[in-house]
Amino acid sequence: MTRNTKGQMRVIETILASFIIFSALTFVNIFAVLPSSPKYEISDLEKMGHNALHDLDDQRLLSRFVYNETEWGELALALTIFLPPDVYFDLSIYDVQGNRINQYFPIRYGAPDKVFATSNSTASVSYIIPGQQAEYNPRILVLQLVRG
Amino acid sequence: MMIALMIVSIGAIMYRVGTYYRQEQWEEYITLVEHVRLGTIRLVEISLANYTASGNNSTLKDNLDQWQNDLRKAYPGYGVTLTYNLADGTNINYFQGLASHWNETVSYSAANATFALNITSVGLEGYKFTATAFLSLTVINTTTNEITVAVTEEDGMPITNLKKDNFQVVGPNIISVTSSYDQNYTLVYTIKCDGNIPAQVTVRVWDQRGIMVIAKK
Repeated sequence: MTRNTKGQMRVIETILASFIIFSALTFVNIFAVLPSSPKYEISDLEKMGHNALHDLDDQRLLSRFVYNETEWGELALALTIFLPPDVYFDLSIYDVQGNRINQYFPIRYGAPDKVFATSNSTASVSYIIPGQQAEYNPRILVLQLVRG
Repeated sequence: MMIALMIVSIGAIMYRVGTYYRQEQWEEYITLVEHVRLGTIRLVEISLANYTASGNNSTLKDNLDQWQNDLRKAYPGYGVTLTYNLADGTNINYFQGLASHWNETVSYSAANATFALNITSVGLEGYKFTATAFLSLTVINTTTNEITVAVTEEDGMPITNLKKDNFQVVGPNIISVTSSYDQNYTLVYTIKCDGNIPAQVTVRVWDQRGIMVIAKK
């Protein structure tokens, strides 16, 4: 009779333990940022965008491209090389008053009406460069990125 | 046994969640700090280039005042505040962070400032860094139609990518500029001219950043 009672208690303990583990995992999962979540995707794209602009700036290429309109095509090409092939981008160049400098010359990879309009995870990166050669004339770069 | 397993499992998951969150925060602001730092170094170089061209020794201060405001416009919502301290005096004789020692055999142009960066949105306060820009020109030797010079930047590193257009000699025209290894200076440039070089020759150099130095022999 005593043996049978002990067996029942073990079953109840197991059920309770399973319930606690399941509850704990469900609770933790609310806070987990999984690789497939939009938050992770945007963060990953932002990192790529930051790194691409920073590397170009570090090599003294960014200001040369930005301040010479004839080299904007080269800038688009350089970003295409720095970013993975499945990442589309659109770069806007502004002065400090907020006027868009490259309004009539888009620096992008990917059709905006297809990749940017349809994606729900668009990352945006801001980057400021102070000028070129001896002239202080800042430009604010806004790089938008989506994964195709 | 079951309870122990449960505690270990939950502990491991909680640890991963916690460390992931901290890592993301760190990466976010370290990127912004690096942007501001690199942009500020570029600004100091631009200001020195402007100073060597115009002689305006308030250039660095004026540019930094504008840069402080423009950083806030570029990164709204981050609470970016950059304060600066311009070098004055020292062995290089800076004035408002800028110095030029020209018309000597060993001449140089220099800029130096220290910065403190606050980013209130991530709780960063007092991140300090120094931005320096330096260009030195040494006239080593002259012959009847050749001048040998050494050009160095910060930390005494030789500049390797200078061409004929980067140099100017007062008097004769430059025919060619070639670089070669030197035991003492690591890299030297030989400037070949089309006429006789005067005893008191003046040489100018501009590097790729636009900073100028004038040296005399």
